[in-house]
Amino acid sequence: MSKRVLCKFFAHGACLKGEHCEFSHDWKAPPNNICTFYLKGVCAYGSRCRYEHVKVSRQSSAPSSEDISFPVERLSGTATHSTGILADAAAKHSASSEPPARPAWETMSGHDNILDQGYGVGYFSNVDSADQSICSFAAAGDCPHGEKCPHIHGDLCPICGKHCLHPFRPQEREEHMKTCEKRQKHLEVLRHSQEIECSVCLERILSKPTTAERKFGILSECDHPFCVTCIRNWRSSSPSSGLDVNSALRGCPICRKLSYFVIPSVIWYSSKEEKQDIIDSYKAKLRSIDCKHFDFGNGTCPFGTSCFYKHAYRDGRPEEVVLRHLGAEDGNTVIAKNMRLSDFLRNLQIR
Amino acid sequence: MVDFARVQKELQECNRDFEVSGIRVVPNGEANLAHLLGTIPGPLGTPYEGGTFKIDITLPDGYPFEPPKMRFATKVWHPNISSQSGAICLDILKDQWSPALTLKTALLSVQALLSAPEPDDPQDAVVAQQYLRDYQTFVGTARYWTEAFAMISSLGVEEKVQKLVEMGFPEALVRSTLESVGGDENLALEKLCST
Repeated sequence: MSKRVLCKFFAHGACLKGEHCEFSHDWKAPPNNICTFYLKGVCAYGSRCRYEHVKVSRQSSAPSSEDISFPVERLSGTATHSTGILADAAAKHSASSEPPARPAWETMSGHDNILDQGYGVGYFSNVDSADQSICSFAAAGDCPHGEKCPHIHGDLCPICGKHCLHPFRPQEREEHMKTCEKRQKHLEVLRHSQEIECSVCLERILSKPTTAERKFGILSECDHPFCVTCIRNWRSSSPSSGLDVNSALRGCPICRKLSYFVIPSVIWYSSKEEKQDIIDSYKAKLRSIDCKHFDFGNGTCPFGTSCFYKHAYRDGRPEEVVLRHLGAEDGNTVIAKNMRLSDFLRNLQIR
Repeated sequence: MVDFARVQKELQECNRDFEVSGIRVVPNGEANLAHLLGTIPGPLGTPYEGGTFKIDITLPDGYPFEPPKMRFATKVWHPNISSQSGAICLDILKDQWSPALTLKTALLSVQALLSAPEPDDPQDAVVAQQYLRDYQTFVGTARYWTEAFAMISSLGVEEKVQKLVEMGFPEALVRSTLESVGGDENLALEKLCST
């Protein structure tokens, strides 16, 4: 029943509160577009004003007395958008002539009054404390009302150091702690990554000029850090200079260990597990992209079954690979590659 | 395009610990950093001891993804260095190059090559033959070449210093200037006058 006035922010498609908004997100709800300047006496825009120039406020929607719970309960003290409306309402309040018939939104101006008049005590005891939201000023760092604040002040989060833990909502507390911890960890890793230099360009990878360059290129077989651009440049440099592809180009520039692929990553890892996580999520991402060589079955992919990209037909059916097992000379079974006539012709000796 | 930002960094890094390594890399005359001059001291306990060897460095367009081209500007008697052209036979300057190597590490490798010749994989067949057949003569020739070509600037250095000091320049400045121009008295004088 409190959702009466159309949310101005929603009307512009920019309300961040979603369903928790204290104003109506229903287009049928009447918008509150009465000119506050006109109500106070003078509006500089006169007839050109885009707000309504009417003296009488919406009597039809006048609230009954129990509506008084709306402003305090809903008004979470959240900074931005409710305060603006408070001011509006206060202005209207001063202008309206008949106090008992004042519309619901006007009562918002009086949450301090409610306390003064002694409604407060009874009111707070009626409402489940878990339903009240915490003071966002305190959560953001400092509440100007201090002890006298009518809203609950959250408990101190030991990780982020803000008063943002709701004392009566255990689930929310836990959730916050979890995300906080995650963020903390991420920051730690990022700080660590910040220091790392690429041994090819000799620059700090995360301090490179463009965002595209600020990425690590992780080698699968060793733990030496490079920027993804440098390592890719090196691996794709033409073998014209007499460099051997397998022994020089595909090896790590530092330890020369052979790695068959490079994983781009925005952070560096500190443990084997983290590295594996990065590799796994990279592979998972590629698996969701259709392979352009395979081209829904129209082409052939040179990487075959070891391709990181998705091999599926247009109807979503995955590629079926029938591996051909052959008996090798030593009695073991080997998996045969696709056979080509040229394989036989190459060995053919013409006498 | 040569990554000049990296070259600049390498030069700073290399010249910072000149005291320890004795290796120096400076731009070769022009403002262009693609042409450099490196100097390495002859390793102790070898016929090259006491010499200062100049190495002409040209950076190819693909540097650091292609190896720098290095050539001895000072004549050296060594199985893996051409006694005629100064060409160096060293794997890391060819197919074993890696972009993680720098000019300094490459020069260190060249210095190591001086102390550990590989006569089985020679650049200069004559020197390699001599090394294998008559090691004593090889050492003698190498020593002679070092004294004749790699110490030339240091031989008359005291005289030059004396001369310039008499002209009224402070001795420390004279020494550093002489060193920076490679022992050329006239160049040093020109530089001293211009500063």
